[in-house]
Amino acid sequence: MDKLFKFKRSKSFFVVKPFIIAIIFFAGSTMVKAQDVDLLLKGGHLIDAKNNIDRKMDVAIKAGKIFRVAADIPASSAKKVLDVSGLIVAPGLINMHTHVYAGSNPGFTDGTSSQLPDAFAPRSGITTVVDAGTTGWRTFPDFKAKIIDNSMTRVLAFLSIAAGGYSVDKAQENIAEMDVQKTVETINKYPDNLVGVRIGRYDGTEWTPFDRASEAANLVNKPLFVECHLPMYSLEDQLSRMRAGDIMTHAFENVSERMTVVDDQGKVRPFVLAAQKRGVLFDVGHGGGGFWFNQGIPSFKQGLLPNSFGTDEHRTSMNSGMKTMLNVMSKYLNMGMTLPEVIARGSWNAAKSIKREDLGNLSEGSVADIAVLSLNKGKFGFVDSGNNKIEGDKKLEADLTIRGGRIIWDLNGLAANPYKQ
Amino acid sequence: MRIKSVNISEYIKYQSIRIAKGVAAGLILILIASATHAQEIDLLLKGGHLIDPKNNIDSKMDVAVVGDKIFRIAKDIPANSSKKTVDISGMYITPGLIDMHAHVFHGTDPNSMTANSYGGLQPDAFSFRAGVTTLVDAGSSGWRNFPLFKAQTIDRAQTRVLAFLNVVGHGMLSRFDQQDVTDMNPEMNAYMIKKLHPTIIIGIKSAHYWGGFTSVDKAVESGKLADVPVIVDFGEHTPANSIESLFMDHFRPGDIFTHTFSEINGGRESIVDEKSRKVKPFVFAAQKRGIIFDVGHGAGAFNFNQAIPAFRQGFLPNVISTDLYNLSMNAAMKDMTNVMSKFLAIGMSLQDVILRTTWNPAQVIKRTDLGHLSIGSEADIAVFNLKKGNFGYMDVRRTKISGTEKLEAELTLRAGRVVWDLNGISSPEWQMPAVTN
Repeated sequence: MDKLFKFKRSKSFFVVKPFIIAIIFFAGSTMVKAQDVDLLLKGGHLIDAKNNIDRKMDVAIKAGKIFRVAADIPASSAKKVLDVSGLIVAPGLINMHTHVYAGSNPGFTDGTSSQLPDAFAPRSGITTVVDAGTTGWRTFPDFKAKIIDNSMTRVLAFLSIAAGGYSVDKAQENIAEMDVQKTVETINKYPDNLVGVRIGRYDGTEWTPFDRASEAANLVNKPLFVECHLPMYSLEDQLSRMRAGDIMTHAFENVSERMTVVDDQGKVRPFVLAAQKRGVLFDVGHGGGGFWFNQGIPSFKQGLLPNSFGTDEHRTSMNSGMKTMLNVMSKYLNMGMTLPEVIARGSWNAAKSIKREDLGNLSEGSVADIAVLSLNKGKFGFVDSGNNKIEGDKKLEADLTIRGGRIIWDLNGLAANPYKQ
Repeated sequence: MRIKSVNISEYIKYQSIRIAKGVAAGLILILIASATHAQEIDLLLKGGHLIDPKNNIDSKMDVAVVGDKIFRIAKDIPANSSKKTVDISGMYITPGLIDMHAHVFHGTDPNSMTANSYGGLQPDAFSFRAGVTTLVDAGSSGWRNFPLFKAQTIDRAQTRVLAFLNVVGHGMLSRFDQQDVTDMNPEMNAYMIKKLHPTIIIGIKSAHYWGGFTSVDKAVESGKLADVPVIVDFGEHTPANSIESLFMDHFRPGDIFTHTFSEINGGRESIVDEKSRKVKPFVFAAQKRGIIFDVGHGAGAFNFNQAIPAFRQGFLPNVISTDLYNLSMNAAMKDMTNVMSKFLAIGMSLQDVILRTTWNPAQVIKRTDLGHLSIGSEADIAVFNLKKGNFGYMDVRRTKISGTEKLEAELTLRAGRVVWDLNGISSPEWQMPAVTN
């Protein structure tokens, strides 16, 4: 651990600097308008699904907000201009399925199986992560104090109906602790952070846990997020109990715990398509075992598309076929989804599904959460949870990530000054 | 969270295929056994360019792994002698990297700097994806909290995690705690190493000391007792203490100066003179004496104004490392491959970069079992792409240089097991299942 940001400057610099500033200020004020833009991203290809933009556009940021989006904003109007030509400018990505209650305990709860948001989000163009119910009404305040309040990444969360959130022990299956009232109270107490209710592990046959989670979600008018580990519920029953806007994650898994969305003949089951038509949403939730090409590819071809690209970020998924959210998005690019579709599902669609329409778009006045991405061409491989590979020629990479107007990731020093000897 | 398992129909299909496969395999085996040797190799990495500085290899070589060990290195090992072959032609293959300066004592103490705190990161999240198989924690823990570090991080990590023990018993709680000379106990430090953890603790760290040489001297005293090197983050005293005195009077040959290319205002003397931009003559003499210079990039300790003149004047660091922690991970440092690529952009050869991230650090920490691919050694292996293009590399002041090359970790093996595979080069192609109507 070193000493942070203390640099030597020559004394003469301090003497000269005020004069230079005075001269620049004088010249600036007489020649052009004041530089009212803090940061101008110039020449990039903007993809903003909410605003139906898919073309070259400049994006100006002021005071942490999107100030202006236009075809040509003069460089002279900005204090700092970044040339992003050849790059994609998108709303900061939203990772819908993560486990980020990172700490020192074994497992997920304040534990080493969860990951630190800032360790993986900025470098993947992500500005918002949604924790998938790692906490419940009892543990959320600790999660908020330790992680949410101390991360550069915006951390939102689904609250588990289980009091202690997601863990691997049986205590979470105690129905008596699945308290609708306390869940609702907690969500109402933290409306800026909590975006829905999550039902996760339950080995029993009765529907009380599912119904309670659904009831709580209904009471707060937020989506229900349905995880795996519900082996006794049939897929059809789960989907039939989900309202429009509720989210089924691990959509394309192929595991013993849940019936697959694609049948043995390679057809998406009609009741799954019917649920999608009714408004039930599907999240990838890739994880270590939750995405299989024998589900994802037939589904894509037959119209069952993921609404969001949750990665199910955790200790064992991060180094597997999942890797990063951009890797998961690139899989879909190479499966045939168009770039605007991929970006939309990684930003605006995700934002809408958690009823955070303030996010996932670059409308003027919105918070300046931005991802600047390059679309690399080459020979790439993508692996699923069954260790099968597809090849592709496109891959997304995060060049620049901006959160609330501040650069939090700059892969190639786009915003840096050239070194002079 | 989702873990792997397969549904029952898949399982039945799999079993019937397995039986058929078994019969076929049996027949093939009989044929092969009569014609050639049995498949004695578990994994063959074929066609890559091997850089193994210890063994003076810098040429195209195949690498064969059996179990968790290097089995054979040769120009052309037949694919049919291996159960699995991965084509890595066009790529570089090297010993798994050793990042000799990182902070991975992850924990939840909100008031701590890198001891059991959020300042320390989770090892597996940064290592394998950058070709690193061994991370050395640089003194986040002292003898009082090393057992906690071991239980909560080292024992749970897939990455090999080694450690410098902080000379201060409480480790890196805060800069203030680093001043407590009464908590610098050479006997306890040496016992902790020699009696309890000789295979994990490989040295002593002194850092952030506001006084004179007491912290360094206590570290060296500990180091002598335990027969390990010390690593020093030197200089938080104004006026700056003499680094010449540190290198020539206080250090033993083999002791390590980290943050070699930092240039900061207050307390720390730089190795390159700030006016003439010349490397100070005693720095060359110190390196000749056996003093080790470590990069330790971090969030504030790598300045092109130091590194570039030094390189041009023939001064190369002995070890390239990251100083990975929460503030450096998203700044100019980023990860091990980025720091290595920065040295490529400065002009260092790939061979020199690999030497400084494998065999050199292994020798410095006296772990000569690591950092090379000799036959019989543990199969910690990194396979890299050397990407060509236009890349930018920053220093901690946010100034940048451009480069035309960038290392990317394609495949990482830890003890013979694939722990990172960027493009699935070790995975079979997916086939669309036949659709029956």
